Amino acid sequence: MTAPKYVGLENYQKIFSDVRIGNVYLTTIRLTAMIVPCNMTLGLALAVLLDRKMPTIIRNFFKVSYFFPFVVSGVAVSIIWTFLFHRDLGPINYYLGLIGFERIYWLNSSTYSPLAIVIADVWKNVGFYVLVFLGGMQAISRDFYESAEVDGATAWQQFRHITLPLLSPTILFLMVISVIGALQIFEQPQILTNGGPGDATRTIVMYIYEQGFRFFDMGYASAIAFTLFIIILVLTIIQFALSRRWVFYS
Amino acid sequence: MSTKASVQILPPAVKTSRKPFPWTTLIVLAILGFGAVLMIAPFLWIIQSAFGETREAFVLPPRWLPAHPTLKNFQDVFDQVPYHLFMFNSLKLAVLVTLGQLITCSMAAFAFARLQFPGKNILFFVLLSALMVPGQITIVPLFVMIRQLGLYNTHAALILPGLINPFGVFLLRQYFITIPTDLEDAARVDGANVFTIYLRIILPLSGPVLTTLAILTFVGVWNQYFFPLVVINEPKLQVITVGLTLLRGQFGAGALGTIAAALTMAIVPVLIVFLLLQKYIIKSIVSTGLKG
Repeated sequence: MTAPKYVGLENYQKIFSDVRIGNVYLTTIRLTAMIVPCNMTLGLALAVLLDRKMPTIIRNFFKVSYFFPFVVSGVAVSIIWTFLFHRDLGPINYYLGLIGFERIYWLNSSTYSPLAIVIADVWKNVGFYVLVFLGGMQAISRDFYESAEVDGATAWQQFRHITLPLLSPTILFLMVISVIGALQIFEQPQILTNGGPGDATRTIVMYIYEQGFRFFDMGYASAIAFTLFIIILVLTIIQFALSRRWVFYS
Repeated sequence: MSTKASVQILPPAVKTSRKPFPWTTLIVLAILGFGAVLMIAPFLWIIQSAFGETREAFVLPPRWLPAHPTLKNFQDVFDQVPYHLFMFNSLKLAVLVTLGQLITCSMAAFAFARLQFPGKNILFFVLLSALMVPGQITIVPLFVMIRQLGLYNTHAALILPGLINPFGVFLLRQYFITIPTDLEDAARVDGANVFTIYLRIILPLSGPVLTTLAILTFVGVWNQYFFPLVVINEPKLQVITVGLTLLRGQFGAGALGTIAAALTMAIVPVLIVFLLLQKYIIKSIVSTGLKG
């Protein structure tokens, strides 16, 4: 590593002549566009189910089992998933084979490797969404539901017109932090696919790591990091601006 | 069709009749149970592989109990890499950073919540803006600073930056401002100084939020991967997460048993602590989630 030297905007210009980086941005955004909705909808659905009447001990058992992977390191979880996804010897292809699927090249096909990363990420993180949603739902007063029931509202109407609006601040919060988190995804693709095949699953943070700490081009790595910061900032501002239309603060 | 119609016409008859069989509840429990199996099974599979013979590790259909239990895989882990050092390093860093943050964050939060000093609002604004900058993005400047300070390849490189946590300051400050000032006023009349108020009044009243910060920090440091990967090069100083990948690098995907043993040693302590403290851990992580 040499001492830094002032180069003006050279590092930013380099972004435009870099043939790989467009694909890296696109991959990251594509992963984010899959991870965020999957975590949000699955988390919400499971929270709705958990919010039903059931013995506390059973609910606690579910809470603990869904939440535990969230506490385990992303590295450990990703290594476990490399074995689960193994083409010939992995349990996933084995069980899929039992119900008639062909063997899937989970980690070395450009079609399936992004999906593998999404699955591993949702498996690790969905418990957090479940518990935050559940906390939000349990904070909603039961009176609303009781009077809705008296008025003859169906379960779906209650969910649509009571739960969702009163949960909207929680939804916004989870959306904002999950977009920020997903745009910075590093561990899962680094360990599951190492960015491959080719650059099919290389994310921005992986690219920053590669440029800065493999090729030791710190200036360029910083320039890319700054663009990522701008992307995150803009998306966050947009989400807050749009939230005025749908978030309901009681 | 006809029974459904009659039910709708005669709601009181339905109410007085016996409860119908709870099909929906059963279906809900079945779905949740299936989900729970999906969450637990991978851990069970890895743990059983750790205690099984290498040639049996990849047997299909997957086993849930090893046929010939052995501890050889664990022995192999320690023969290949200094795994006990990885575990010790992770524990050491997690404890030191957690203790450090409890001190620095609570002091800074106390200043923001209780003291009047020039520039307080500007400083607080700077703190909040630091909250908005994601950690991965500052990795390059942080790395350059670490190098220039001569801290590359030392644990100080992982401890010192960890002592500053804007989120922790914010979390504690939000809690401290809710503590009524009456007690302090009384203490001040009795001649207590600022430090006594911090130590004897604010801290003892803040047990829950300090626990929350401690749990979040400990789990965060124990699981961190990117930063140690970048600033530590010496295997003996490495942490458990990078250690796992080092071990995996030596074997490829072949020696499942050995890696499973290492994974088991990484996961089981977390599992035990999690089961003992699950109420606090879930509450901590979720409550900070709710407040944002």
